[in-house]
Amino acid sequence: MSTNRWFATGNFYTTYREEQRIFRTHVDRLFFILFLMGLFAWPLFIDASNRNMLVINNILIAVVAVYGLNLVTGFAGLISIGHAAFVGIGAYTLAGTARTIGDSHMLITHCWPLMILISGVVGAAFGAFVGLPAMRLKHLYLAIATLSFQMIFTWAIQFMTFFNQGQMIAVGRVFWINGQVGRSDHYRFWYYVILVTAVICGLAVRNLLRTRYGRCLVAVRDNDRAADAMGMHPGLTKVYAFALAGFFAGIAGALHTYMFRGAGFESFTLHHSIIYLAMAIVGGLGTLPGSLLGPVAIQTLELQMEHLSEWAGSFLPASMNLATALRPLGFGLVIVLFLMFEPRGMANWWRICRSYFKLWPFRY
Amino acid sequence: MTYFFQLVVSGVVVGSIYALSALGFVLIYKSSRVLNIAHGQIIAGGAFIVYALTVWAGVPIILSFLASMVITFFLAMSVERVFLRRLIGEPIISVIMVTIGLMSIIDGVIYLTPFGSMNYSFPEFLPSTPISMGGVSISWTQLVGVLITFILIGAFSWFFKRSTIGVSMRAVSDDQLASMSVGISVPKVFGLAWAMAGLSAAAAGGIIGNITGLNFETLRAFGITVFPVVILGGLDSIIGAVVAGIIMGLIQQFAAGYLDGNWGLNGTADVLPYIILLIILLFKPHGLFGTHEIERV
Amino acid sequence: MKRKYHRLWLVAMATMLALAFTTPIQAGETYQLGLSLAITGPTSDAGNPYSKGAEDYIRFVNETNVLGDAKVDCPIRDDMYETAVTKRNFEDFLDQEMVLFLSYATGANQALAQDFNEVKIPVIPASMDKSLVEMSDYIFLPIASYSHQYVGVAEYVAKNHKGGGVPKVAAFIHPSAFGRAPLEDFKAAVAAGLKLDLVEVVEHGKDLDNSALLQRLQSKGVQYVLCQTVQSPVATLLNDAQRLGMTATSFGEAGKITFMGAHYTGGNDLIALAGSAAEGYYWTTAYHVTSEKGPWTDWQLDMAKKYERDDKTANSHNYACGMMAAQVAVEAIRRTREAGQEVTSATLYETLKQMNGDKAFESLAAVGPVTYGPGDHMGVDTVQLYVVKDGAFQSEGKPFKPEFIK
Repeated sequence: MSTNRWFATGNFYTTYREEQRIFRTHVDRLFFILFLMGLFAWPLFIDASNRNMLVINNILIAVVAVYGLNLVTGFAGLISIGHAAFVGIGAYTLAGTARTIGDSHMLITHCWPLMILISGVVGAAFGAFVGLPAMRLKHLYLAIATLSFQMIFTWAIQFMTFFNQGQMIAVGRVFWINGQVGRSDHYRFWYYVILVTAVICGLAVRNLLRTRYGRCLVAVRDNDRAADAMGMHPGLTKVYAFALAGFFAGIAGALHTYMFRGAGFESFTLHHSIIYLAMAIVGGLGTLPGSLLGPVAIQTLELQMEHLSEWAGSFLPASMNLATALRPLGFGLVIVLFLMFEPRGMANWWRICRSYFKLWPFRY
Repeated sequence: MTYFFQLVVSGVVVGSIYALSALGFVLIYKSSRVLNIAHGQIIAGGAFIVYALTVWAGVPIILSFLASMVITFFLAMSVERVFLRRLIGEPIISVIMVTIGLMSIIDGVIYLTPFGSMNYSFPEFLPSTPISMGGVSISWTQLVGVLITFILIGAFSWFFKRSTIGVSMRAVSDDQLASMSVGISVPKVFGLAWAMAGLSAAAAGGIIGNITGLNFETLRAFGITVFPVVILGGLDSIIGAVVAGIIMGLIQQFAAGYLDGNWGLNGTADVLPYIILLIILLFKPHGLFGTHEIERV
Repeated sequence: MKRKYHRLWLVAMATMLALAFTTPIQAGETYQLGLSLAITGPTSDAGNPYSKGAEDYIRFVNETNVLGDAKVDCPIRDDMYETAVTKRNFEDFLDQEMVLFLSYATGANQALAQDFNEVKIPVIPASMDKSLVEMSDYIFLPIASYSHQYVGVAEYVAKNHKGGGVPKVAAFIHPSAFGRAPLEDFKAAVAAGLKLDLVEVVEHGKDLDNSALLQRLQSKGVQYVLCQTVQSPVATLLNDAQRLGMTATSFGEAGKITFMGAHYTGGNDLIALAGSAAEGYYWTTAYHVTSEKGPWTDWQLDMAKKYERDDKTANSHNYACGMMAAQVAVEAIRRTREAGQEVTSATLYETLKQMNGDKAFESLAAVGPVTYGPGDHMGVDTVQLYVVKDGAFQSEGKPFKPEFIK
């Protein structure tokens, strides 16, 4: 019988190829393309202020970084509390190059896609290096090893004069086809660049799960002895997972440096590692929509806390540091509440939405 | 030579503080396998409660010390009851993230009080002239701190060896199913473990507050520096926590004494514990005294 | 979760998302300033009273109509000493059409210097790092830079050192741009003829116990430790020095160490933290301290009482710092209005640059007048030396200008 390629209405897969498709139905693909077009088109119509663009760019950079974290912690099951260090490595690759060859050198301002890729590769190299203990350690011990890597990274940046001892290293403005990107266009330009990167990375991750390596990852997470018996190498898989996480994080770091026009050590501390983990978990560990929803939720939460505390500060006594107290309080409460009541994260809500529509117009 | 002995004395003082902080951490891990990342915050909370009782309520310092320990006992028990009871059986990443969330919540609560951003210091209740013997000096506060640490550690060891509750806690940490079949209430033991961790954290906070003054940033950093200590000692060994604490204190003082200043190095005492942590994890992940679980390489 | 809770959640999340991108509305003729500083986080023991000082002064201006019928609005944000957050706050304030920016951290100011130049907005920072005025023409330091204060202290050492030979000093600094700020100029001063021997530069960490450090310094013959950090590390250092019996009882006592420091190291908080160990600590700043009665200190304490600030804040020199930064900003606005010009970043910049000679601003808070001019972006050019005697800071000598630095 001929299958309806436009609506799903249940699962009627008859070949493996059908099951592995990224877009199950034409409607799926259509909505996705419309969504992408919307994302690309809205800055042309709505003039968002610099600060809002800055926030959106931060969200998108976090999305790229959390792709990597979701890969290593969600799909491979290796807890990593040092993700900000990988992002920092990408950022400092770029900043270190800027410091050596001058921050307005042609390589940095003109060949910036190349520099971003190089930062990703360096991040992957460090990721593989940190992943080596993963071959021997499990669970808690691996988490502590990544934590110590984070602390060593922070100390090393602050100590080495090559990295300006942790102080800001400036990076110049980049050039695009029509000349230098000036201050007024800066955030919008980088919005497009980061959006393109996020979309490409997202498609890459989605595709990863239908390759042989993706299945390796899931198998190793579920039971690595069985995976070993099936002929996969769990140790190498784990190292490769860390390398991939490092790659995405490195790219995110380079984008961060370009967008902030500089790199300073305070953006890559343990606190930020914890924020990335929170984004991954609140979004939904081990899912692709989770990497998108998590950063949006956490950033929105931070902004809301700021608004709330400014509003409350107008009538509460000033001796209570409400503004500064609300931020960690809100953050902690959200994480704890999500873990207590919705451990599968916001991606679970998305999944419920989608499965409702999958069977539509039927109810069950 | 007096330089060396001074370093040793300072190392033992600092090390016993680490030992006391690590003690609480190990207690929680031993019974419920939870890594409590919020431990630094509980230490800070205990310290602030001691200060509030001493300075604002005018209670004599020894009483406020004990009172703070009792208060933190109940606070920690309620934290376990409210937040962690639901998470029994969940994967380990969820539990770690809940303690991280707890860390932020306690941070926020402390920022609401004036303790969050201002410095405070305890009134001096011990003579301020140091005791010095043969060129090596130690202040009264530090000496009292070390004494209290060892008294508490001795009390805990006795508790675990002799009392019924202590033995039942050890049983739960060994095998939860078996202890349930013998009639031990496992959730109660978890609560008790957290409560005792809170007790030792309050004591640690009170001692640190007296030695270095109350600064929230310094106190909460203890929650992170406790990791190298517990890994070195073994995550589930109390003796390990004590021994590793003292060793770590000594290593830090020797690093500050002999490595800093040469070859332009600065602040090595801060990073050396983490390098040691990594090395231990690679070669002997269970630490000096931890139980060796059969791990496949 | 049940069906109806799903909908509720969806509505709640959608509302939050929408609210996240709104900004509060203001009404009336107001001049917009902005202050972003570390109320919590590193160096917050200085930032907290600073924010209260600025806030109280702005409230005073609005309540007593210093600017006639116009008001000043200065939202205060906590950036926790993180540059990324400072940048976000800066962009946010710019969106609200801020005309003058009050900033704080040395690192953040260095990072944003290129932005200040591009947007052409005058900035009054809490950081007195000398390199800031070299990085941006729009930065106006309220008082003499850290380098000036540091070299000033060093000159006092060189002048008053007894017993022959070149005095050996060590530097005890905060591990950040703020701490490292004066070192280059200090080394240049030594090279230019200041007779001192810099034995070691120590960047402190979260040290619980400084015995090793102190003994090492003493074994190298160091007699003076010059500090550039905030109060709590200095207090720990002083406590440990007292315990080891190393604190000098008089200036430059042989075999002991005299502790001295620049602006943010001292203040009444230090005495509260270090207690008797702070006796004999030398400190430079350009502000009046509340332990010496005077017209400014009376006014400062009155303001603190009026706005119900606790004793610690009222007696803190950081409270005075915050007040004076706001005071200079408001004075610039007042002069621009008096001259009949519209208050914008450009006009404020011009007004500030002309604050010299007979147009210098006499602020009661500082020991000298605030002067700005082409090439001089440091407000108060003189500093005052204080020393702790009997548990309070007392001034030593008259305000002076350091010589070995431009």
